[in-house]
Amino acid sequence: MFMTEKKPYNPIELMAIIASRYLEDGKLIFAGTGIPMLAAALAQKLHAPNLILVFEAGGIAPKASMLPLSVADSRTTYGAICCANMPEAMEMLQKGLVTYSFLGGAQIDKYGNLNSTVIGDDYYNPKTRLPGSGGANELGSLAWKTNIIMNHSRRRFVEKLDYITTPGYLDGPGARERAGLPAGTGPHLVFSELGVFDFDEESKRMRLKAVLPGIDKQKIIDETGFELLIPEKIITEKEPTEEELRILREEVDPWRVVLSRGDKPAPTAVPVQKAHDRVYGQNENSRSGT
Amino acid sequence: MHVIEQGKGEVFSKITPDEFREHMMLKAERANIDKRMDLKDAIRQFVKNGDYLSVGGCSIVRLPMAFIHEALRQGLRFRMAAGTRTYDVDLLLDNDRISEIDIGYVLGLEMLGLPLYTRTRVKEKMNNGELRLCEWSNGTMAWRHKAAAMGVPFLPVRSLAGTDTFKYSAAKKIKCPFTNMDVVLVPALYSDVAVIHVHKADKHGNCRIDGMLNEDLDKARSAKNLIITTEEIIDTEEIRKDGSKTVIPQFYVDAVVEIKYGAYPTNMPGLYYLDLEHLKSYARAAEDKSGKALRNYYNEYVYGTSNFQEFLEKCGGQKRLDELRRIELLEKKDEKVKDLELIEGRA
Repeated sequence: MFMTEKKPYNPIELMAIIASRYLEDGKLIFAGTGIPMLAAALAQKLHAPNLILVFEAGGIAPKASMLPLSVADSRTTYGAICCANMPEAMEMLQKGLVTYSFLGGAQIDKYGNLNSTVIGDDYYNPKTRLPGSGGANELGSLAWKTNIIMNHSRRRFVEKLDYITTPGYLDGPGARERAGLPAGTGPHLVFSELGVFDFDEESKRMRLKAVLPGIDKQKIIDETGFELLIPEKIITEKEPTEEELRILREEVDPWRVVLSRGDKPAPTAVPVQKAHDRVYGQNENSRSGT
Repeated sequence: MHVIEQGKGEVFSKITPDEFREHMMLKAERANIDKRMDLKDAIRQFVKNGDYLSVGGCSIVRLPMAFIHEALRQGLRFRMAAGTRTYDVDLLLDNDRISEIDIGYVLGLEMLGLPLYTRTRVKEKMNNGELRLCEWSNGTMAWRHKAAAMGVPFLPVRSLAGTDTFKYSAAKKIKCPFTNMDVVLVPALYSDVAVIHVHKADKHGNCRIDGMLNEDLDKARSAKNLIITTEEIIDTEEIRKDGSKTVIPQFYVDAVVEIKYGAYPTNMPGLYYLDLEHLKSYARAAEDKSGKALRNYYNEYVYGTSNFQEFLEKCGGQKRLDELRRIELLEKKDEKVKDLELIEGRA
């Protein structure tokens, strides 16, 4: 992680708070689990009470005190207004109902194209096989505004993707429309632990919009594997307020199911298990695995 | 009709709409019989080696684990539909039981990461041709099942275009003859067999499901053979009190198998939460690239048991299941206080 200075919040909390500020009220949002859901739930409680969360397996606008561990988790349908299904959820996107989608990936390029399928240049013999599109291709093809969350490094912000799983602006202006994707759609904002990025209206290239508190512009340029557009005026995001932190911690994720992943430098299974133990208690009947 | 562009992937399931119609005509005659049987019988009657399989649930939720275990024990191999699949497909992949797979999302164990052994084996097998893969997305997989459930050969959709996901799929792009816009066509996906775990079913196969439905309505309606495993069998009179709750009607169903906790260690909405401890023990074993730890896992939990009940006992039995029920019901504390007290009293 790039935060050396001791801050009263962890990187997950920071990214969720920054992203939440950019979500407008009265929209539908397709959110995956993790930071996107934190951001959406926080926005709901602060300035966007009419933001509606849709999960791809069918949960719509749930009302659970614990955050789901997957997009199909029972907590995506607890207190929901509707238990729908995958085709219906995807068709909500296809019909233009959904303003925001929120995605991640292993690699992103300057046009906001995303790779979550293979690392390495030979598809049949890759360095690493990844899970594939999942719902990402629909989220990036069909939502009006695709928001993206990425860890920031030159390995992830690359000049050329090994594989385009999910369309950004493809190879530049007009390419989405030429490919047959719905007009007026595409990547909107990218959030990393260093900054917030948008896309230049003419060239469709990624542009630095804001730096996160305490982050230097040069650091962002150094950690990006392609030429980033740098406008004259760059905002510095405001530090999280006490209210944002309090609501995030006490109301959005009181069990720290997701927030605890930011407590350690490397987000792996371990912190989640810690959160799980905190939520459910240590399993006294623990069995030896293998 | 002029095809503008097409993916290089292959359509693995060869079942056609007309073949399916013929099959359904005969199947309709069995609609009203008593279909209760045990899992081994159901598999003997309705599953063949090499079948194209689709299974219900999504991610780590409502997966038909009792079926997966029995299929592993019987040595069955499949070709398979994999919208958002996790633990279920990982188990089949680890044991080299899948030869062709249509994927939306595989390998991932959600918050537990990507199992090293499984993804290394997939890479090897893709490279040497033992495993053939066709790329799709969750939306296009859902629509492929939906096209089949509608009884049509394909559906036009608006995703995939412009990407490598399209390039490695079996989709085609055409100009819409009505609007002149470019649309992507995805082929209907009929299965030889589907297996879906549900909350309640009667003896004829009328099913109720709580929580998310994912692709299950369409999978149920587009499989030649459909095995339902259910937490509970209820009277048809109970079904008839509120037919609006029936999400899969009996005429699609071939077998009804009662298996309480049949989705363990995955989440069964409203009944029990996923067992993160058990899933973690699997994920840990899958981190051993040599496969030795996984062999131990399978010998202990799958091949070393003769039925699902024995597996549940090995995992902590009723006590553990009660804990998972308590976790699942945390959200409903106000409504089900009595139920909780009962469980807590027993624990």
